[in-house]
Amino acid sequence: MTTSAPESTAQVVSSEEIRDMLLNLVASYLEQPVTDIRSDVKLLDYGLDSIFALTLCGDVEDEYGIEVKSTLAWDYPTIDAITGFLHEALSERV
Amino acid sequence: MSHLAYAAAAEFDRLLGDPRDTGRLFSHARSLALDEREEFPLEICRELDLLGLPAHYVPVAHGGALRNFGDTLQIVRTIARRDLTVAIAHGKTFLGAASVWVGGDPRQARELGAEVARGTAVSWGLTEREHGSDLLAGDVSAERTAGGYRVSGEKWLINNATRGDLVCVLARTAPEGGSRGFSVLLIDKRRLDPTSFRTLPAARLHGIRGADISGVAFSDAAVDHSALIGAEGDGLEIVLKSLQLTRTLCAGLSLGAADQALDMATAYALARHNHGKPLIELPQSRRLLARSYADLLTAEALTLFASRALHALPGELSITSAVTKYLVPTLVDQALARLSRLVGTRSLLRGDTFEHGRFQKVLRDHRIVGIFDGSSVINLNSLINQFPLIARAHRRGPADEAGLRTASTFTEALPDLDPAALELLPRRSSGLLHAVPAAARELRSLADAGAVPHSLAAHAAEFAEVLEEVTERIGRHKPTPVAAPAHAFKLAEDYARCFAAAAALQLWLRNRSAVDAEATHGLWESGLWLECCLVTLVGRLRPVRTEHLVAEGGRDPEEAVDRLVEPLVAQHTSGQLPSLLPYSRLGTPA
Ligand SMILES: Cc1cc2nc3c(=O)[nH]c(=O)nc-3n(C[C@H](O)[C@H](O)[C@H](O)COP(=O)(O)OP(=O)(O)OC[C@H]3O[C@@H](n4cnc5c(N)ncnc54)[C@H](O)[C@@H]3O)c2cc1C
Repeated sequence: MTTSAPESTAQVVSSEEIRDMLLNLVASYLEQPVTDIRSDVKLLDYGLDSIFALTLCGDVEDEYGIEVKSTLAWDYPTIDAITGFLHEALSERV
Repeated sequence: MSHLAYAAAAEFDRLLGDPRDTGRLFSHARSLALDEREEFPLEICRELDLLGLPAHYVPVAHGGALRNFGDTLQIVRTIARRDLTVAIAHGKTFLGAASVWVGGDPRQARELGAEVARGTAVSWGLTEREHGSDLLAGDVSAERTAGGYRVSGEKWLINNATRGDLVCVLARTAPEGGSRGFSVLLIDKRRLDPTSFRTLPAARLHGIRGADISGVAFSDAAVDHSALIGAEGDGLEIVLKSLQLTRTLCAGLSLGAADQALDMATAYALARHNHGKPLIELPQSRRLLARSYADLLTAEALTLFASRALHALPGELSITSAVTKYLVPTLVDQALARLSRLVGTRSLLRGDTFEHGRFQKVLRDHRIVGIFDGSSVINLNSLINQFPLIARAHRRGPADEAGLRTASTFTEALPDLDPAALELLPRRSSGLLHAVPAAARELRSLADAGAVPHSLAAHAAEFAEVLEEVTERIGRHKPTPVAAPAHAFKLAEDYARCFAAAAALQLWLRNRSAVDAEATHGLWESGLWLECCLVTLVGRLRPVRTEHLVAEGGRDPEEAVDRLVEPLVAQHTSGQLPSLLPYSRLGTPA
C-alpha cells in the first residue's frame, strides 16, 4: 500500500475509487479474490471481528491522509457505508 | 525518607500501622486467619474507607483525590503488599467506576464520585457463565422501555456482585449484537424491585479466598434511563477504554505480591543456615534472589512509566496497558516461582511456623492477577491486533517526543487525567522505541566518560539490535481475520519485553541525577538496575545456553545480575523494601 502525504491528496476522489480500494483491502485481509467480496455485506459477516475492523482506519489514513475515528467500521458496517462516509469527508476537504 | 512518587502510599501505610503488630486491625495475623475461614475482610475494608482510600478511585474532576494515577496505583500496591484479597476486594470499586469516568456525563460522574467517596462498593459485570473475554458474545440484555431499560440475564464470577450496591453492567441493547450493539448501565441494586434480581453464591477459590466473587441474575429488572452511561451502543468502546485504565492499575497488585515475597525470602536467606553457611552465601541462592529482584525492578520500572504515560501519552494506552497487563503479572509469577524454590518447604506451610503462612497465600493469591481483567493471552492478542498500527507508526517516526519526556521524567509535572484523550488504537508513535538507538549512544558516551561500565553500553547496543529484528518481524506480520496464529503470540511477548527495556532505558537516563544515590544503595549509580533489566530481558529475547558459553571459556552473562544481592541486602537491613526508589518498611527491621 502506498503512503500518501496528507497535503498532496486534497483532490476529489470518486466513490468508485474508494469502494475499489476498500474491496481490495478486505480481499487481501481475507486472502480471497476481490470478486468474492460484496460491498453491501457487513464486514462482520466476513468474519472480520471488531478489533480487526479497527485497524481499517489506519489503512484509510495511509491512503487518503485524513484522520478518521477508530470506530469507523463500527458505525459504517459495510464497504458501501464506509464509502459513503469517506466520499463525503474527502469532498468536504477539497 | 520516601521518594515523592511513593509519598501518598507511604502515608497510607503509616496510618494502617505495622502489619506485624497483631494488635493492628490490618495485621498479617488477621489476614491469614480470615483466609483460613474464607471470610470477607469486612472490617479491614471499612478501615480503608475511613482512611479515605475510596477518594483515590475518583478523579479530582469528579470530587475525588485521584490527581496522579501513579499515586493510586502505589497505594493499591501498598495494600496488596499486606494482603491481595483486600486489595482486590477494595480496589474493585475503581474497576466498577472506570466506565463512568470514561463515558459518563458530568452529573453521573459527580454523583458516582460522591457515592464512591462515601464507601459504596461498585462492581463490574462483564463476564458471563458461558462467555469470558469475548465481550461481544454477552447474553445479558437490556430492552428499551418507556422510562429506561428492562434487564435480563446473568453476570457471573463478578467481584463484589453480592456486596456491591452498584454494579456496572455491559448489556446487549441490540438483539443482533455487534460492536455497536452493547451499552453500559450503572445499575443501583438498592433501587431495583427486589423480586427482579438475585445474587448468586460466591465461588469457592484457590486464592483470594475471602473475596466475594459471585454473580447477579436479573429477570426483567426495570432500570431508569439515567443508568445509561454514554450513548446506547457505546458500551464496547467505553469498556475497552476503561480496561486501559484498569489493566494498568492491576500492575500494583502484582508489585505488592512481589514485594512481600522478596522481602520474606531475603529475610529467610539471611537467617537460615545450611552446611554452616547462611543461605545468602550460596551462589545458587544468590542467583535466585538476584533474578527475582531483576524481575521486580523490571516490572516496577515498566509500571512507573505506564502510570505516567497514562497522563502524558493517553493516545497510546491501548499498547502501554496491554504490555503492562501481560508483562508485569508474568514477571511476578516468574519471580514467585523462583523465590518459592529458595524458601522451599516454608513456601507451603500454613499456620504460624513461617510468616503466618503468608508465603503460600501470596503464591495462591497472585495466580488470578494474570487471568482476570484480560488474561495474558488476551493482552498478547490485543498487541497482535495492533501490529499493523505499530508497524505503521514506526515507519512514520516519532511524533510526541515531549510526551515521552514527561512520561519518563519523575520531576516533570503531569497533565491531568483526560479520559477523552483515550483511543482504541494508537494513532502515532510516542517514540519510546524510536528513542532506543539514541539512548544506546548516550550510554556509550557515558561509558567512554567512565560514568557507567562498558558492559552496560554493550547490553544497550545489543538490545538496540534485537529491537530492530523485532520491529522488522512485526512489519512483516500479515494480519489474519479473527484467530491470530500461535507464532504471533511469541512475537507479541518479544514486543512487550522490548517495550519494557526501552522504558527502563528512558527512566534511568532521565532520572539518574535526580534520584538520591545513597538512599538507593547503589541501584542507580553506574546504572546497575538498568543493566540487570537489560540482561534479563535480552536474555529472553535472544537466549544463549549459558553452560555452553561457560564451557567455552566465556562469562556467565547472569553474573552481572548477581550484583543485585548487595543492594537487596543493604535495603533489607536498613529497614527498606526492595524497590527502585527508597521506601521504608514500617516498624523496626526484622
Ligand atoms: C477471582 C475472579 C474475579 C473475577 N472478577 C471479575 C469481575 O469483577 N468482573 C468480570 O466481569 N469478570 C470477572 N472475572 C472473570 C474473568 O475476568 C474471566 O474469567 C476472564 O475474562 C477469562 O475468561 P474465561 O477464562 O472464564 O473464559 P474465556 O475468555 O472463554 O477463555 C477460556 C480460554 O480460552 C482461551 N482464549 C480466550 N480468548 C482467546 C484468544 N483471543 N486467543 C487465544 N486464546 C483465547 C484462553 O486459553 C482462555 O483461558 C473474575 C474471575 C475470577 C476468577
